[in-house]
Amino acid sequence: MTSRPEHLPERLALITDVQAAEYISTGLLEGREDVPSIALNKVAEALPGDDVRLRLHPVRDLIDDAVTKYRDGRPTAADAWLAPRLHETLRLTRREASEKSLWTYMALGVAPDYVVWRHLSEPKADGSRGRVARDRFVGPHHKQTFARLWWAAELFRDGPDYRPVEVACGNQDMLNSALRLDIVDHRPTALALVGLMERGSVRTGREVNALTSAVNAAAATLMYDVIAPDVERDGEPLRDWIAGAESALPSPRNNLPEGPDEEHVPEEAVRRLIAHFEELFADAPVRGRTSDERE
Amino acid sequence: MRVYPYPRLTGAVTARVTAVRLRGPDDTREYLDSRGYSVVEQVVALGTAERADWRTARLALTATVPAREIETKGHWSDIAVVAVLTEGATNARTVSRLTPGGESGREWTGEIELDRDDHLDRASLSVHVVATVGGVEGRIIASTDQEWLIDMTADGPLRDRQLDVSTVSFARGAEWLRSFRDAPWIVDTAGRMPTVRLNSDFEGLVALVAGQGSKVESVVGEMLLAQMCADVWTAVFHTAIGDLEIEDDGTPLFPPDWRGAVLREMLPDIVPGRSAEDALREVHIRRTGEGSWAELQPRIQYAAARRAEVPKALAGTVRDIERLDQETHA
Repeated sequence: MTSRPEHLPERLALITDVQAAEYISTGLLEGREDVPSIALNKVAEALPGDDVRLRLHPVRDLIDDAVTKYRDGRPTAADAWLAPRLHETLRLTRREASEKSLWTYMALGVAPDYVVWRHLSEPKADGSRGRVARDRFVGPHHKQTFARLWWAAELFRDGPDYRPVEVACGNQDMLNSALRLDIVDHRPTALALVGLMERGSVRTGREVNALTSAVNAAAATLMYDVIAPDVERDGEPLRDWIAGAESALPSPRNNLPEGPDEEHVPEEAVRRLIAHFEELFADAPVRGRTSDERE
Repeated sequence: MRVYPYPRLTGAVTARVTAVRLRGPDDTREYLDSRGYSVVEQVVALGTAERADWRTARLALTATVPAREIETKGHWSDIAVVAVLTEGATNARTVSRLTPGGESGREWTGEIELDRDDHLDRASLSVHVVATVGGVEGRIIASTDQEWLIDMTADGPLRDRQLDVSTVSFARGAEWLRSFRDAPWIVDTAGRMPTVRLNSDFEGLVALVAGQGSKVESVVGEMLLAQMCADVWTAVFHTAIGDLEIEDDGTPLFPPDWRGAVLREMLPDIVPGRSAEDALREVHIRRTGEGSWAELQPRIQYAAARRAEVPKALAGTVRDIERLDQETHA
């Protein structure tokens, strides 16, 4: 299996798709090879300054703990644990998080072993090897191993409260299908989707997919922002939280960390959307659901 | 055209930015000079701010809605007019309700604020009219045709983007450039925006492109620039089409950033007479092997050359050369 990089510098860095392409070999994707870490760090662009948020080791420690904790179980279970803690450790703005080359560096320079451990598929029936999809290293925000966890935490948190993130990440279909849709950019919508999972209104992957498709399709003609308004966004709590990184302790391993002290999503807005989505879901086609199963 | 299961407005909804107020640390304030935004281009160029350290930008907006139509047709109630500011790259979405002003009810005004930390490159601003229709609340009954673009860094309010050209020594530059040391230029599509990297080791090239030399040099320089542009369009098209998101049912999606903008602009020349979505699907099918990808290449080349204005530059060059010839023989 791909192992932990031999050389880990002190700070995170950036690596572009073009530069990364050279290191994403078939051997790496099949989990047979390591990333040549010294060569990689020679081409990576080091991040200037001494911002504590960009120290590499707190992130690497977190990833080590995730692997230790979930080694004997299913790797997918690690998502719900790692997402809030990665988000709280990095304390990025969205502008910073939209920098793809940071996530690519994390996958290649910080923890290629984690990418392989988490995303290597089972060997196929014909005997061919399992593989990690390339986009787990260099893909869009809802595919890339670390970007998807960070964005899940960002989009599903309720202000400082990461509990909805754990719920959303606990279901791979929610994580995979909702994260790529624009509808979750509206906080009450994201929390209403989580609310339906918590109530047990949607359980299986097929149900989750049917729900997110129905909500997304309806958003073409409905303005959820008017039906269920959110509070006005205020950037100050985030800036304070980022400034607090200097004195922050390592992310708690057993309890959930706390996010930026932003205002919570109005409960009334979430309630309205839950009721709304339940109706939509009742009429939505679910693969494998026959009509007499409907209530 | 899309069909909606409820009545929508037929009259146009338009929006214009009327003022931009920036706020920095310690509550410093600045009004963006009116040359920093353009009603014709529908662009706000926040790079024109005098203070580089602004944190939030508050845009004052006026939207015009077909008030008479709303009143006479009478299908709609609980009318709301909302401004929506989004950016795909940062998943940012800000919504603000406008309020009706004046007696006619046609003009709605309000403000929408964006936080710089939530944006990367270009945000889009659109205005929607929302109403209760047939007992269903929150229906979008009309939207602005063209969105405003809020550019975080541009130093002029232009919709079309300037080609970014930078000069660098390939031999002594970044590791990956060294393998291209003999090339006069390469197109780099890895970043936020595509850039042309000119090889400063290639003697005379930089002066040629800068067009500061003799008449002959400037004639050739212009041609060269057009050619580089065409290279950029081609490279960007291939980057974008090679990295499409595909829906579960096989429908390819337009990328949310400039790659999507490039595809939308080039596709009408590549697959003429089709909607953008259909054209994208067609090109995607051809590329993934179920059609003739090779036969599409001349069309891609044609679209790129047209965007880069190669024919125009070439015609100009031919004319200039003739003129230069006449001058030398005169």
